[in-house]
Amino acid sequence: MLKSRNYKWTLLILLALACPIISIFFGAADFSAAQLYQCVVNECDSAINQLIFWDIRLPRIVVGFLVGAGLAVAGSTLQNITRNGLADPYLFGVVAGAGLGASIATLFFDSQFTSSIGLDFLPEFSFSIALPLAALLGAIFAVTLVQALAATSFGGRGEQMLLAGVAVSFMLNAMAHFLLFLGEPFAANKVIFWLMGSLARVEDWYAWIMLPVVVGCVLLLLLYGRRLDALLLGDDNAKTLGVNVTRLRMLSLGICASLTACIVAYCGGIGFVGLMIPHIVRRWVGVTSRVVTLGCVLLGGSFMVLVDIIARSALPEQEIPIGIITAAIGSVFFLIVMRQQKV
Amino acid sequence: MSVSQGLKATHLDLQIDGKVILADINIELQPGKLLAVIGPNGAGKTSLLKMLSGQIKTQGQVSWRGHALNHLSQMQLAQQIAVVNQLNDHVFALNLQQIVRMGLLPYKTLLSQDSNDDIQRIDDAIARVGLADKHQQRFSSLSGGEQQRGLIARALVQQAALIILDEPVNHLDVFYQHQVLSLLRNLAHQTNITVVMSLHDLNLTANYCDEICLLDQGRVHAQGDAETVLKADILQQVFHLPNVVRRDEISNNLRVDFYPLQSSEEPHA
Repeated sequence: MLKSRNYKWTLLILLALACPIISIFFGAADFSAAQLYQCVVNECDSAINQLIFWDIRLPRIVVGFLVGAGLAVAGSTLQNITRNGLADPYLFGVVAGAGLGASIATLFFDSQFTSSIGLDFLPEFSFSIALPLAALLGAIFAVTLVQALAATSFGGRGEQMLLAGVAVSFMLNAMAHFLLFLGEPFAANKVIFWLMGSLARVEDWYAWIMLPVVVGCVLLLLLYGRRLDALLLGDDNAKTLGVNVTRLRMLSLGICASLTACIVAYCGGIGFVGLMIPHIVRRWVGVTSRVVTLGCVLLGGSFMVLVDIIARSALPEQEIPIGIITAAIGSVFFLIVMRQQKV
Repeated sequence: MSVSQGLKATHLDLQIDGKVILADINIELQPGKLLAVIGPNGAGKTSLLKMLSGQIKTQGQVSWRGHALNHLSQMQLAQQIAVVNQLNDHVFALNLQQIVRMGLLPYKTLLSQDSNDDIQRIDDAIARVGLADKHQQRFSSLSGGEQQRGLIARALVQQAALIILDEPVNHLDVFYQHQVLSLLRNLAHQTNITVVMSLHDLNLTANYCDEICLLDQGRVHAQGDAETVLKADILQQVFHLPNVVRRDEISNNLRVDFYPLQSSEEPHA
């Protein structure tokens, strides 16, 4: 049993190492293994390769990995606290909330609008900070709304929370799209971005914001893993084991909101990763919270890097929004999970 | 041993939305004894168990080993009292060992790991309830009786001196009913663990329990040992059914037989 588990973890780690390396080779410009090695040791053979490796491909791969890991971990945490295998930041309204917050920030920092209200002195970088913060506020708003709806109208059970999440998700998405429609001359592009997500606009500094958020959230979840396991037995049982259920649930929702917000702010709404990956990890390596969290980091990150390869290379000369591919794979997976519901 | 070192409940009252659920309940139970809370549906059994385990804060006082429960933190409460509820839905496929291991939770900080002693304690508890060969088996694939015993093993790992169980033999067949109750009685009498549980079957209650608390409409109707509580007139008043109480020749325990109502006695709509 232990041996087979070790072998599975080894495979997951190898996958998490191999996917980014494979991904480096995909793109408009060809990279040989020798050129790659030269760039890794900071001796690129040309300035172009230096730029492609350090400023375009590597940031995109790192951000892609963090996005996949973060969404998968957020999904597994939501599934854990709602005790529902169908919970996911997308279905739960967290992505829509973050999207609404980010849309408002986008409109607010639109140059015409800021100058019209006398705020054109704001430095350029303030938008970079305001965007994830606005997304975080939106995500927290969505989570609070879902919690409140589920608690007051539906009795606070996990399934009801999910239903409330779906309704809130539709409502906040509609609000975000309406705002963009009213305020943006090229709203369609923005809406597509929030709806489908993309790694095409990734900049090298994104990773420096995402990395501490994802690592911090994962560490917190690992610390609270034992208590999160108790939640799987239901709130009443967890309480009798000494767990402060309300506080743990708030903390977990805060973690999900933070992870989702920093991802949605920069990469848009990418669906179904948070649903799919935790299921596969549970089937493969185990169901306890710490195991699922670590498995989601490795498999979620690898999955997103692989999907990004497809997004970049499936069609000649253009890129498919990454959310289209994750939604295509995820929707089929969703149906399979609904049929089985045994994980 | 002093009674105050056991479980003591004084003047417990519970009202929900103006409706009296429990009124003036007083209970004293010595350590190492089994108390069965019996009574018709809606008598307040589950509410009483929740109050005795500190899950519902209410008027009146519950103390365990001389400490008022409302002065204990949630962690301290979990170190003293284990609650065994039925796990009705099994969301993710936890195995027996993972569920039993959760009994360590009240003793663990965020950073602490399982020691060799902890692992030994888990193994011992699983062996104590007779499931040594099922460590890695999915909890949901265990039989009802095995699941109950698994949850009792978790309570043992929790090292609680008081175990409270809500209808532990509900939905179990006759064999498992006796198996689970025998286990609880042995734990109480051999290891001085105090057990409080709600039961529906009066014959099982007579067989296994030291003390009985008969509830009716939120009040204690009768309290004491089986001889005191299981009397035909008392049971007739509470359950509204003709009955005969006799001593079984083989087991020497009391035996209650209820008889169906005559058609003329059936309540009319």
